[in-house]
Amino acid sequence: MKQLIQLAFAVLGISGVLYLGSFFIEHSQGASGTDTLNIFNWGDYIDPELLEQFEEESGYRVVYETFDSNESMYTKVQQGGTAYDLTIPSEYMIERMIEEDLVLPMDHSKITGLDNIDSEFLDQPFDPDNQYSIPYFWGTLGIVYNDQMVNEEDITSWGDLWNPEFKESILFIDGAREVIGIGLQTQGYSLNSKNDEELNEAFELLRGLAPNAKALVADEIKMYMIQEEAPVAVTFSGEAADMMWENESLHYILPEEGSNLWFDNMVIPKTAQNTEAAYAFINFMLQPEVAAQNADYIGYSTPNKAAMDLLPEETTEDEQFYPSAETVGKLEVYEDLGPEYIEKYNDLFLEFKMLR
Amino acid sequence: MIKSKFSWANLYLIFIFVLLYVPILYLIFYSFNQAGTMNEFTGFTTEHYEALAGDTRLIRIALDTFRVALVSSLLATVIGTLGAIGIFFVRQRRTQSTILGLNNVLLVSPDVIIGASFLLLFTMAGFRLGFYSVLFSHIAFSIPIVVLMVLPKLQEMNTNMITAAKDLGANNWQVLKSVIIPSIKPGILAGYFMAFTYSIDDFAVTFFVTGNGFATLSVEIYSRARQGISLEINALSTILFIVALGLVSGYYFVQQQQRNRKRKLTDVDPTNHQKAVTP
Repeated sequence: MKQLIQLAFAVLGISGVLYLGSFFIEHSQGASGTDTLNIFNWGDYIDPELLEQFEEESGYRVVYETFDSNESMYTKVQQGGTAYDLTIPSEYMIERMIEEDLVLPMDHSKITGLDNIDSEFLDQPFDPDNQYSIPYFWGTLGIVYNDQMVNEEDITSWGDLWNPEFKESILFIDGAREVIGIGLQTQGYSLNSKNDEELNEAFELLRGLAPNAKALVADEIKMYMIQEEAPVAVTFSGEAADMMWENESLHYILPEEGSNLWFDNMVIPKTAQNTEAAYAFINFMLQPEVAAQNADYIGYSTPNKAAMDLLPEETTEDEQFYPSAETVGKLEVYEDLGPEYIEKYNDLFLEFKMLR
Repeated sequence: MIKSKFSWANLYLIFIFVLLYVPILYLIFYSFNQAGTMNEFTGFTTEHYEALAGDTRLIRIALDTFRVALVSSLLATVIGTLGAIGIFFVRQRRTQSTILGLNNVLLVSPDVIIGASFLLLFTMAGFRLGFYSVLFSHIAFSIPIVVLMVLPKLQEMNTNMITAAKDLGANNWQVLKSVIIPSIKPGILAGYFMAFTYSIDDFAVTFFVTGNGFATLSVEIYSRARQGISLEINALSTILFIVALGLVSGYYFVQQQQRNRKRKLTDVDPTNHQKAVTP
């Protein structure tokens, strides 16, 4: 008994030391102010140095937490019990959060530097006039190929994926809208089509693509492509940038027919306790130097026009990651389809999966 | 009789241990890789350990994870032990098996469900997610484990001892302190360590109840995995593995010493045993 009680006190002592340790770490870095800013961001989606710089400049203490998917972020915000001041969802989730009244409208008088953002990326259908959100990064859906296994000229469009040479060799991202979208765009239809005939036509076309599919996978695409398990993959530009960093034989192209344009935007969720700090952070991230440093670190495309001048030329001149205005015009943003058509897309996608 | 050195049983044993340890060794090996990925080994470096030392956020989360595990398993052990004793002394067999059944249901029900229900409970009660929500939920899911570890020791206990103690005028508190607790001590310690390990590696429940800047290692590593697991995580895992190895061998060492001491005592005084028995 005595020994057990001693052990219990030892445990309490150790946890006290651990608490002091984490307390010390938390307060030794950056500002020690009591004014905190709670940021909820994707894992590994900001240059950590920038957070320290922000703490020094603004005097706010940043409490930073990460999520792994839009859905898990949504649950945390919607359920309450949290006090996030700023979060960075993707466009379809922003649309849903606006509809469900989970985000606060932005007070544009408190935001400086919005004119740094390329007007191409403002006033998008998911958030007209940017009443609720400010662009953070953007990207596209495209094709990654390995120049050791495929000729450059052989892949320039979605249509090229049907080439019988690629039998069982294409990796697809496991997403209903992405895959059905390939069928739609090949025929020049909208990615947000709600026309049953167009959808059926797209599906019939995809039937022919099925023999070329090697697998439908998610995050593993990156690993497989780096290890040269497959010559071609359909994936997002940010993922592609990571792969190309690891394997120099890989290249990313935007299909001629156009593609999907996605956004991750900063929003102030309804749970915010410190909106002043959130605005301070938004303004901080809108500064060209900061946006450039962040883009350089993460490797995604920045919507900040002024920041692009500060990035190395080989980055910004890369047509695939910073396409010309003409190409951007062909890109389409996903819109919320409503439950009925989301189900339709999912059903068709499921059927596509069964073809193999 | 000549013992042959080769036996199928040993081969099987070695095979199983290799199977269990190779992934961990593989992970440790790559934590020293110069290239940033686990694809191929290009050269030796300790830069990932340096990066880890500079990553104060990850260190803080590691400290918090251990703090939650230590405290939650301590409280769960206290509650669970008392609960097990309570269940043991329930007179009616039906009630006893019902309570035990309710306890076991919590053990087998999926973590996701437990986690989601905690999230609902905390938000309904207007409780802020953070350290305390994680702590409370870890205590809650650890209690059934402790009960299950302590109960067999109670059943092994000689109940005549209790009767004897009462006969000699001990009150309930004295019976608990001097008879029951000492005889179930191994179970209590085992329960504590089980609860501790469960708390350290729980992901599903924790995932639902973290928030407001508080996270544990499993949740943080999962969010980071979206970008591909960096070798910093390998470095951290290596350190954790070595700490665990140290703890286990330390425990083994202490136990060995205690056993030696006991043996010495009986060796020196062969009448010792008899003395202990005859008053």
